[in-house]
This record gives sequence, C-alpha cells and structure tokens, in this order.
Amino acid sequence: MRPPGQDRVLVAMSGGVDSSVAAALLLEQGHDLVGVTLHLWDASGADKVGRCCAPEDRDDARRTCEALGIPHFVIDERQAFRETVVDPFVRAYRSGTTPSPCVACNQEVKLGRLAALADSLGCARIATGHYARLSIDAHGGIVLERGRDRGKDQSYFLHGVAPAILARMLFPLGHLTKPETRAEGQRLGVPNFAKKDSQELCFVPDGDIGGFVDRRAEERGEPAMSSGVLRDTNGASLGTHEGVHRYTIGQRRGLGLGGGPVRYVLRILPDTAEVVVGDERELLGQGIEVRDARWIGEPPVSTFVAHVQARYRHAAAEAVVTPCGKGFVARFLEPQRALAPGQAGVVYLGERVLGGGTITRAGMLESVDTTEATP
Amino acid sequence: MRRVYLDHHAATPLWPTVRAAIARAHDEAWGNVSSAHQEGRAARATLEQARRAVAQALSVSAVDVVLTAGGTEAVNLGVLGAAGGAAGEAADLVVITSALEHPAVAQSVEALAARGARRVVLPLHEERGRDALRELVAQPSLRSKRWIVALQAASHETGTCLDLPEIVAIAPPSALVVIDACQAVGKLPASRWARPEWLVGIAGAKIGATAGTGALHVPRGVALAARQLGGAQERGRRAGTPEVASHAGLAAACDALPSRLASMSRVAVLRDRLETALIARGGVVNGAHTERVASVTNVSFRGWRKTTLVAALDLEGLSVSAGAACSSGLEEPSRAITALHPDEPWRAESCVRASLGPETTDDDVERAIAAFERVLARTPG
Repeated sequence: MRPPGQDRVLVAMSGGVDSSVAAALLLEQGHDLVGVTLHLWDASGADKVGRCCAPEDRDDARRTCEALGIPHFVIDERQAFRETVVDPFVRAYRSGTTPSPCVACNQEVKLGRLAALADSLGCARIATGHYARLSIDAHGGIVLERGRDRGKDQSYFLHGVAPAILARMLFPLGHLTKPETRAEGQRLGVPNFAKKDSQELCFVPDGDIGGFVDRRAEERGEPAMSSGVLRDTNGASLGTHEGVHRYTIGQRRGLGLGGGPVRYVLRILPDTAEVVVGDERELLGQGIEVRDARWIGEPPVSTFVAHVQARYRHAAAEAVVTPCGKGFVARFLEPQRALAPGQAGVVYLGERVLGGGTITRAGMLESVDTTEATP
Repeated sequence: MRRVYLDHHAATPLWPTVRAAIARAHDEAWGNVSSAHQEGRAARATLEQARRAVAQALSVSAVDVVLTAGGTEAVNLGVLGAAGGAAGEAADLVVITSALEHPAVAQSVEALAARGARRVVLPLHEERGRDALRELVAQPSLRSKRWIVALQAASHETGTCLDLPEIVAIAPPSALVVIDACQAVGKLPASRWARPEWLVGIAGAKIGATAGTGALHVPRGVALAARQLGGAQERGRRAGTPEVASHAGLAAACDALPSRLASMSRVAVLRDRLETALIARGGVVNGAHTERVASVTNVSFRGWRKTTLVAALDLEGLSVSAGAACSSGLEEPSRAITALHPDEPWRAESCVRASLGPETTDDDVERAIAAFERVLARTPG
C-alpha cells in the first residue's frame, strides 16, 4: 500500500470545460484526485454582469466533481487575487501601462497558491486545464512548451511560474485541440462539455476596463484620473480625453477623433496626461526591454536569437535577445506593432518557453543601456 | 479508509430509535394534521405526541410548544415574533445579545436594529459585559422601553456556556428572554437553559433527529407575531402543514435525551484527550478560559487557514469544521472567536472545531489525533 497522498493530485477546477476535462482525463488514467476551486473575486454592482467569477462557475465545478466522484473544496483566495492581480492591474492602468493580469494570476495566485495548497493537502502534483505542454530534458530540467492548439496556447501566461512548481504540474490538455477537449469531455461524461468559453477578463466581464479602474480607485479612496489631451506626433492637440487609463497602446477604436485618417495610440504619457496618436506605420517598434526576467532553465549569459512574443494574441517574432542585468533587451528583426509596457515579453526557442517578464520599455530603444550585461 | 466524524455540532448521526419512529410515521401518520378524517387524526396524534416529548424535555407545558422546521426558524420566530410584527414597531425596543451568537440570533437582532430597535451586543461571557448590562438597565431613559434579551445557551463554535440565570437577573423583570438552546440541548441539563417564562428554541439536527426539525417554547401570555402566514396551524403561531414524520423523529430524539446527556461525562474525557493532543501539536484552545459544554474543542493552529485545515483533514478521513456553517467556502473570521480573543485575530482565521457525540469512540479519537498529526506535519498553505 502506498502512503496516503503519494499519488494524490490537486486539480484546479474553474467550472469551465477545460479544467473539467483535465480532471476527467486524469481520473481515467487512475489518479487520486482532489478538486479545488479558488474563489478569487466577488463581482459587485455594475460589474455583476456576464458569468465569470460567478457562483454558477463554482456550482459547475462542484457538479463536475460530484459527477466524477472526487472530493471538491472551494478555497477563498480573494485577498491574494486582490493584492497580486487586481490592485496592480488598477495601478498599472492609472500609470499609463497595459498590464497582463493573467500572467500575475497564473504566476502568483493560480499556480503559486495552488502549490502551497497542494503542500497542505498532501498532494504531490497539481493539474490544470492549461493548454501548454511539459516535459523533462536530457539534464533533468523541466521544459515548458506551447500547447498543440495554437489558438488556445497558454504558455505565454505561464512563463514566470517557478520551475519547481512547473515540475509538479500536469497539463492533460497540452496535446489536445479545443474541439478534441470537448469531444473528450463528451466521451467521459463531463456535464459541462459544451459550455461557452470565457472571453473577457474574469473580473471585468463587461470589458469596460476604464470604468472598472475608476470604480475600483474610488472604492479605495484614490483621486479620480485627470483628463488630458490627445496629440499627434508633432505635438498638435487633436482633442481631449478622460484619463490615460482608458487607453492602451495600439488602440484604434474609441479615440473620439471623428473622421480623418485611421489613428492608433502610440504612447501614453501619464505624467502629463497626454496620449499620443499616429498612423499604423508609427505604431511599429523595434524592440522591448524587460528589467526583471524569470527563466525556466539557466538564465542566458550572452546574446542569442530567439522568438519573442510581446502580447498574448501576437505571433512571436524573431529577435536578438541580449541579457541585461536581471532582464534582457530584445531587438526584433522586423519591427513589431503595438509593443506595450506592462505586457509580458516571453522568449521562445521554437516551441519551448525560455522565460520572460514584464515589458518595462518598448519602441525604438535608442537609449537602452546594455553595459550591465555580464558575460 | 474508515472515516471519523467529529462534527456533531453541525449534524448528528440519527439516533437508532429516531430512524424507526420516522419510518413508522411515514406508514401510519402521513395524513394532513388539519384534516378531520381518520388519516388526519392519526397524523395529528403523532404530531401532538412529538409536542409532548419536546415539552417534557424542556419541562414546560405542551400547549406552549411550537414545532418548527429547524432551530434557525425557532430562534427567528422567538426573536422577531417577540418583537412584534409591523415595521416601525421596533423603535421602543432594547435588544440585548452577546458577542458569541449564532447568525440565527445575531441576524434576527440586526433585523430589529434596522427597524429602529436599540441593539446592544455585550461580551456577556465576561464580568465586564454583565457590568455593562447593569449600567444599561440603570439608565432612566431606557426604563420605559420594551426589552428583549436574546442569548445562545452554549456556543456552536467553542461550546462556551453563558450563565443565563445570572444575566437574566440583571435585565429588567419585564424583559422577554429568548434562548437559543440548539447546542445546549442534550449537552446540558434543561435547568441550565429552559424556564417556563423564557422563549426557548431547539433543533432536532443536534440531538440525533433530522435537520428541518425544531421547536420553540413560547410562554403563555407572550403575544407572538407569526412569521409565516397562511393557516391556523400551531395555534396561529406558525402557518403551514407540519412535517409529521420528521417530528416523530424529534420526539424519539427528545425521549433519548437522558441517555445523550448521560454520555456527556464520557464525551468530556474523549474531548479532553483530543484537546490535550492538539495542544501538544501546537494548537491553542479557543474559549478555554470559559465554561464549555463537553462536546467540543475549538483549536487554532497559527499559520494555517481554517478552510485548508478542514479540507486536509477531510482527505485524511476526519470530518471537522471551520466553525461557522458556511456553504460558499468564504473565509470570514469567526465573530465568536474574535470576541473571545480580540487581541489575537489570527485565532479566528486558523481555527477548527472538532465536536463529539455519544457515538464517538476511543478509537475515533486516536484516529483523529493521527489525522491531525499527518496534516500538521506539512507546510501550512
């Protein structure tokens, strides 16, 4: 008889199809499963639309676990979510950057808290429904690769998860496409196999980020954002706006500039509350700087060529990556659109995630100082 | 893995005679108690027998017992019914309650406060709470008010018992006294929590009957405003066709109260053994400085979170709870434990409640200790 918990797997159940099918697949493989749903956020007032972060999702998770015959617990992680995801998200928007809350959530809350919880519950391994693949290389190091379904691949969000945690993870959906996942769900009797995918940010289900940031700041007693001016690249005023937090780099819609040429947000200058707009050509940037990077294997020590992805929905592009202090600078071989501070810059070698971090500067990078780079 | 159930303050296993009584009632007493025919009379007879059994357990008269669908309903009916019905009628009320209350009392009192009543929450488990009550009673402006004293006889969380006669003696003689005895019945003799002049609520689910059974004693002369409308059942104090079979179970559970009560000295020994073992493994006992019922220990483990501990112990085959009943899994610090240990807020976040019953064995306690050992050896998360 093996000691209790030796093969116990904590499976994170969001109430969605992916985690449900992940659990069903692991159960079929004979694992001893414990379902855990993290309660991350209570939608309130005007945010109480849509179906994310809703009690219905927790009910779905509970129902799936009942159907699978595995224990299920709801664990309250609202404080961790608020402190490590939502509050930094609001701060970032108010300071004119475009944060990637799913990176922070996966890194700190989802996998970070789940790992601690797994320790407490005596679970050696942790499973989720992420579309990403894990393997072990010839030196025994953990390898994180893109999910087989390129449309669903979530490796971008996982680049910062500690290797020690990745080594305990199981991603049963990494080699499946979404339609295959649903088919497996149907085959295995998962009750919610046809459930709609969630789209928007889970804590801003109506997609109105500006409104959310305003309400959240008001709740916290922070001053309202000051209005400012939209300018073109020559400094000419084109109109006014109601706060830099309502803009993201590359944004085209909702600029309120009336007719005329198509314009995009190029730069956001929080100190002067200015938003600089320009044409598509001006949206192109040459590179990004990441000041604090996390690497899954050994940190690189010299310049190399890799693919760098600067947004979740962007394709990775070939770039020269130069280690620099604790981070790196990536110079793209072809200029890239809408590079935005606050998003994650993730370095790939083929399918494999090497590491990444939050973009601290983006654009032309004329003045980047790489002298800190150590051989 | 054989499981160990130490959550008797949440729900008790059915007492053997309860099961039989319910089955018999389903066969013989399924009619509507208000019907004039034989089936109705049979149901009525079974229900009235249940009422007599409850009355005997409380040493009160059967006509003064209202059967309810559970302890929360009984306590709600007691507090809100005693206050009177219509909006605005609460403005002349002073409602005294303790800081340890179950939500059934606490939220009823809050509802009265929202209707204009003066709500006073006091640490009545301490001398200073009783002193504060004395000062309040001495205030001339409050003399003409209607007073309600709503108190839990024994805490569902820590088992802390209030000295009800002493507290009631401080209150004005005209005060209506409403006692939530849900966790006291079967653990303390009725003389500690029932008086013919008090309203007293009990729950069947804590004494070996099913959830959804309960009773409220309403002294004659107390005008009780009904909460549920639609019929003259229960002498107009609770409308709706009563569920006879479950209350037949409640009757059997009440008949068995003497043996339940007699088991408490043995339960106390088991509880103390468990508690000593948990203290040795880093636990601190909440409410240890208060008088407690024998059936429960509430222990905090610094660094742990209560819901995580409960989940981890469940996976090791041990059923305990985080204290307050909470279906959503949200982690709200326990109010009672915060009130008992205001200087140590961590206690209310890291507490687990193990509650024992007459069915608990020596072996259960040894297995429970072993489960705690396995879990506490891990890193808290």
